[in-house]
Amino acid sequence: MIKNVLTHIGGIGLYGIVSICLFFAVFVGVLIWALTLKKGYLNSMRQLPLEDDSRLDAADTTPSRDE
Amino acid sequence: MNVETFRYDNKIVRAFAIATVVWAVVGMSAGILAATQLFWPEANLALQYITFGRVRPLHTNAVIFAFVGNGMFTGIYYSLQRLCKARMFSDFLSWFNFWGWNAIIVAAAITLPLGFTTSKEYAELEWPIDIAIAVVWVAFTINLLGTILKRRERHMYVAIWFYIATAVTVAVLHIFNSLSMPAGFLKSYPVYAGVQDALVQWWYGHNAVAFFLTTPYLGLMYYFLPKAANRPVFSYRLSIIHFWALIFVYIWAGPHHLLYTALPDWAQSLGMVFSVMLVAPSWGGMLNGLLTLRGAWDKVRQDPMLKFMVVAVTAYGMATLEGPTLAIKSVNSLSHYTDWTIAHVHTGALGWNGFLTFSVLYWLFPRLYNTKLWSTKLANYHFWIGLLGMMFYVVPMYTSGVTQGLMWKQFTDDGFMQYPNFLETVLQILPMYQLRAVGGLLYLAGVVLMAVNLYQTARSGKLVEEEEAKAAPLSAQPVHEEKKYRPHRFLEAKPVLFTALTILAILIGGLVEIVPLYLIKSNVPTIASVKPYTPLELLGRDIYIREGCVGCHSQMVRPFRSETERYGDYSKVGEFIYDHPFLWGSKRTGPDLHRVGRKYPDAWHYNHMEDPRSTSPGSVMPPYPWLLTQTLDTNVLPARIKALRKVGVPYPDGYENGDAQKDLASQQRDVVVGLSLGEVNAKPDREIIALIAYLQRLGTDIKNQSQTIAAQ
Repeated sequence: MIKNVLTHIGGIGLYGIVSICLFFAVFVGVLIWALTLKKGYLNSMRQLPLEDDSRLDAADTTPSRDE
Repeated sequence: MNVETFRYDNKIVRAFAIATVVWAVVGMSAGILAATQLFWPEANLALQYITFGRVRPLHTNAVIFAFVGNGMFTGIYYSLQRLCKARMFSDFLSWFNFWGWNAIIVAAAITLPLGFTTSKEYAELEWPIDIAIAVVWVAFTINLLGTILKRRERHMYVAIWFYIATAVTVAVLHIFNSLSMPAGFLKSYPVYAGVQDALVQWWYGHNAVAFFLTTPYLGLMYYFLPKAANRPVFSYRLSIIHFWALIFVYIWAGPHHLLYTALPDWAQSLGMVFSVMLVAPSWGGMLNGLLTLRGAWDKVRQDPMLKFMVVAVTAYGMATLEGPTLAIKSVNSLSHYTDWTIAHVHTGALGWNGFLTFSVLYWLFPRLYNTKLWSTKLANYHFWIGLLGMMFYVVPMYTSGVTQGLMWKQFTDDGFMQYPNFLETVLQILPMYQLRAVGGLLYLAGVVLMAVNLYQTARSGKLVEEEEAKAAPLSAQPVHEEKKYRPHRFLEAKPVLFTALTILAILIGGLVEIVPLYLIKSNVPTIASVKPYTPLELLGRDIYIREGCVGCHSQMVRPFRSETERYGDYSKVGEFIYDHPFLWGSKRTGPDLHRVGRKYPDAWHYNHMEDPRSTSPGSVMPPYPWLLTQTLDTNVLPARIKALRKVGVPYPDGYENGDAQKDLASQQRDVVVGLSLGEVNAKPDREIIALIAYLQRLGTDIKNQSQTIAAQ
């Protein structure tokens, strides 16, 4: 049945439109998602790789793009 | 707070690091051998095992899966433990991963020169090895996810997302592309044929680049670059967008490897559009990497590790701008099948993967051995010699690619082909091939310097096998500040959900691309005169696969006047319905062969295979004298016919029990008679007879159709 339906879907060109829309929706979603994140959280995430190494200078105060 | 003490496993990191260096030397040496054979075919020492068609897959597999694969595991096993504040989930799985992966590589290094290959690029290994790859990869994935689950750091840093995407996507790609029907211990036929096989293969091939060579290395970049620069990544927000946009878009772009082929047009356009869009997330990632270094460029001057990293990230940016450019159909019509593609992949392999690996190794060794790098000066030499090698590789390849591409398309004012003889376009670019080999040699010399430097560094220190660390378990950590629901924060604390979403993102792309081809019959118009290969042609085709002919010869005439004039009628999708596997190829070091059938007499092929330069003076094709002496193994025929029948080739039931052998013998006699017309005496049971039968069949079915219509 499903195969039958799919065998008869007309306009394969629709696939391109659907995929672009799908991508666009996901992209906008991720964008909004990222933009609503809090600065304090983003800063703590950025520091994760630096945390485990005591040899590094913890007082590094480079201003962040996210601030 | 309840604090736990635990130990990071550095021994496994060291094991992968050593394997990385060893395989770098092996893989690049194979590359130099292959590069040398392209202007000096005698460099195969008249051995079939190291002739170009077999060395090329050896080189690509060794560099991708052995060098970059071990490099990836080195970086992941080091950074994952520290980002999760936990030892690897299981020591057993770690070592199973190490020995299993390297045993697979050894198996590849043995089977590929022996001619056991599926011929599908970067998936050449035969089915028993494919199964082993799946098992080892699953072990790695369990180890990865297990470590994440028992972590002591609530949030998963962006590097870990890239590792998760790598693990799950490579598993999906490998399994779907390797589906095949065994026809003996080291022989199989893919379940897909023709255009479907091509689409699945390049869905795999493209995403092997994406999820084996790119995403894990992006994860390494996000961990090791901030480490080396001693400052956090430029924008964490950008890294979130980078990740999701990249994994969602990459998976759709595979069909750009098949532009202007017999692939349906809608799939080509889809692949092109998504490839162009890829430039955005890729450059987002590159800029994020480079901008992390702002205010730290003085360190780049002093620290060779950072120098390597900067070039790696820049090469990533160049390759990911070039990739989308090459995916535009009009650019692709020129670049495809030429050395431009080779230049492109080597910008990625030598620049991005190579230099990033070197950077990580230079950073790791002093820390693993609790010492200083033996010689910073030597590392600087490595940097410059490696960069020079890269330039000597890439620039000649661009030159030769564009030159040859333009020569193929050049018409005279009167409308004739300016260079009707393919060989003329090859002879023009031979100096570029020589320069390229020099470039490769320089690059390898740099790697040898690194090996010495790392060895001396190791000698000067003592391996810190177990590194002690302290952290509170997750259960004891307070959930701070946010009661408010924050989507990505929520996701990062849920690795299983995160993994599921990642799989979903990559499956959507894969399904939209491939499902319609399975279901819509109109995508593959059948041609009544196209028939399955005869038994002799089938065995000839298997020899063609064994010798790796597809590495230099395409079987896909694109619908351009410059190609139909040179080769004959353009290729139709319906002509490939019995091609398990498809042999469209991706590079024309020699001419396309799809319409070669009946173009030359049998004796021409015989003489040409014995010594290509007797028929084509100056040719760089290697001689294949062993085909003239080796006896054709016909015992394998029943198993092969049965396997092909199972995947849908309409051989009559029971054909393999007798009739097939009779047909085979009768066609062998026909070829021998054909050869005698050209004054060649050959025995009917030699391999060359089967190969000639196959070559003479190529692309001729469609001619039968026009004859039938004319007769009517």
